[in-house]
Amino acid sequence: MTGKGAKPREKASGTSEHIQMDALAYSSRMLHWPPLGKLLLVISVLVVNIMTDSVITAFAVMALGLILMAYSTNMRIPFILGVFIAEAILILIIACGIISINGDTSQPCIWSADFLWMDFYMTSDSFNEAWLVMIRAIAGITMMMAFATSTPIPHLAQALRQIRIPDEICEIVVLIYRYAFLLLERLDTMWSAASSRLGFSGFRRTMRTTASIAVGIFTSSMNLADKAQVSLECRGYRGYFPIWNRPKKAGVGWVAIAVVTFVLLYILGTHTEGVIDFAGIVFGV
Amino acid sequence: MDFEYIIEARDLTYSYEKKDGAPMSLKGVSLGIKPGIRTVILGANGAGKSTLFYHFNGVFKPKSGEVLYRGIPLCYDKEILYQLREDIAVVVQNPDEQIFSSTVEEDVAFGPMNRNLPPDVVESRIRDSLFKVGMEEFRNRPTTQLSYGQKKRVAIAGALAMEPKVLILDEPTAGLDPQMSQEVMELVDQMCMTGTTVIISTHDVDLAYAWADEIHVLRLGHLVYSGKPEEFFEDRDSVALSGLSLPHTFSINHSLEAIRGLPDAPYPRTNSQLLAKLAPSDSDFGRIRIVPVSQDSQIDTDGDVVGVYGFEAKKLFRDRGISADINFNAIEGCCLSAMQGHDTTIYCDQELAATIRYRIGILTMFGHVPEVV
Repeated sequence: MTGKGAKPREKASGTSEHIQMDALAYSSRMLHWPPLGKLLLVISVLVVNIMTDSVITAFAVMALGLILMAYSTNMRIPFILGVFIAEAILILIIACGIISINGDTSQPCIWSADFLWMDFYMTSDSFNEAWLVMIRAIAGITMMMAFATSTPIPHLAQALRQIRIPDEICEIVVLIYRYAFLLLERLDTMWSAASSRLGFSGFRRTMRTTASIAVGIFTSSMNLADKAQVSLECRGYRGYFPIWNRPKKAGVGWVAIAVVTFVLLYILGTHTEGVIDFAGIVFGV
Repeated sequence: MDFEYIIEARDLTYSYEKKDGAPMSLKGVSLGIKPGIRTVILGANGAGKSTLFYHFNGVFKPKSGEVLYRGIPLCYDKEILYQLREDIAVVVQNPDEQIFSSTVEEDVAFGPMNRNLPPDVVESRIRDSLFKVGMEEFRNRPTTQLSYGQKKRVAIAGALAMEPKVLILDEPTAGLDPQMSQEVMELVDQMCMTGTTVIISTHDVDLAYAWADEIHVLRLGHLVYSGKPEEFFEDRDSVALSGLSLPHTFSINHSLEAIRGLPDAPYPRTNSQLLAKLAPSDSDFGRIRIVPVSQDSQIDTDGDVVGVYGFEAKKLFRDRGISADINFNAIEGCCLSAMQGHDTTIYCDQELAATIRYRIGILTMFGHVPEVV
């Protein structure tokens, strides 16, 4: 068999990377840090990352994110997550490439080209802005990854509870987390079953099979919801999910850390704006 | 106690659809579950076993008829239903439908927390129930990272943490490997020995025949039999109509009647009982030694074949790094070992010794048996 349907599947439903991310969070060295504290720190750093126009601040945020991620995962990033990060960076490079060749035509040009009906016009500002956007975005990804690899979703829900997000929303977060895995597992099984019956041989058949699986997953989710409701009632459910092992609360210390980090990065940003001129380095202009 | 049945169903009728004339999942089912009696609800797939269970704890309300708990008809008031579900715990067939929480301890704590128990009580319930199902070291593990068998144990631990008076298990061994099935049944067995009324639903006739004191057979929503397992399996037409088959031990025993002229009764339910019935009176059996143990007991595993039975005894073996020859289904395993001529020692929990002695003693009904010391 040489059809596409017979090919071994490397990635179908995404189950493995979800489970790996979950496993990573539970084995993190930052697991017992207060989730609300971590959330505050990440949000303050992400905000300051956007507020300032300094590449140095973006680099600092990226360095902070990488350090936290390395500490959290003990330098053990699963290969599949590494591939996803690399994929995201590749998309960013393409996006920033587009920003850089879409410069303001009233400014001096450092490079231009015509291709079919498109005019490419790169200026010093557009080139520098593209770099800033890219480094900022990568810095944001590293910070968010540091948070995601150290905070299981139930801890995040607990953090949301602490900042007075309604219980209903927090419980939905936890239930989505719990049942997403079950539905992903079911999706994986359906995918393998369809694949073993040549359901993915040819474009049209692949489309039809994927649609059937989507319908199957929807039906499964309804069934699962019914059964889960019965199980909940069997276990004395009273309309809310009690939490037994509450993660640590974020004290004043964590607020101080978030504020100090924010202020330091902001000051760094305001004093280092325009310090690095990428256009000058690359094009000598 | 001024009631004969801990749970009783009277003329129970139920349909999953609301409209009139819809097909009925239960049709006039009347049965009683005696306290402390090992009860199996037997039936093919779709017979209505799970539907019946959900009536026992008030999750489903019958279309007609009534359910009585301790002789009192169920009242479908919210608070009373909460109290009822504290007493009657159900372990559903698929653990994924029962486990909601992200970690093992969170899930086990779910029931006790719903009862608003004090934290120290919840903590001891978590510890005890995880200990009973052998999942202590998995306490902080995410439930998404467990195997099916481990999830099943967590689901059972969740029910045990409620400390129910009645434990209902829907297909407890479905999807489990043989060793895990034996572990689960041994756990269930010990729950019975310590006074919990256990009800199991299954279509596994071998399990039902070996384990049950009493069976209730459902066929397409009708109750077709209630009573001793032997009498039901004697009626082959009924067995076939119910979508079931004869248990292995029952079949062999029945065949022996034709081959050797041995009478059917007494009916052996386990391999050891069957062997006792077949063994010549001059067979050279080994002896069985029953040794109740506590945390400071000395354990001597030299010479004899060693079996271990009971939560405490197993923990003791595990803590001291001692390996037993027979870890699961040890009463039956030790009887078979002694019948093969090996002197056998069974280490057990203090409170289980008398029950084990009684269970081995039952063998004398069937013929020549090993000596128990």
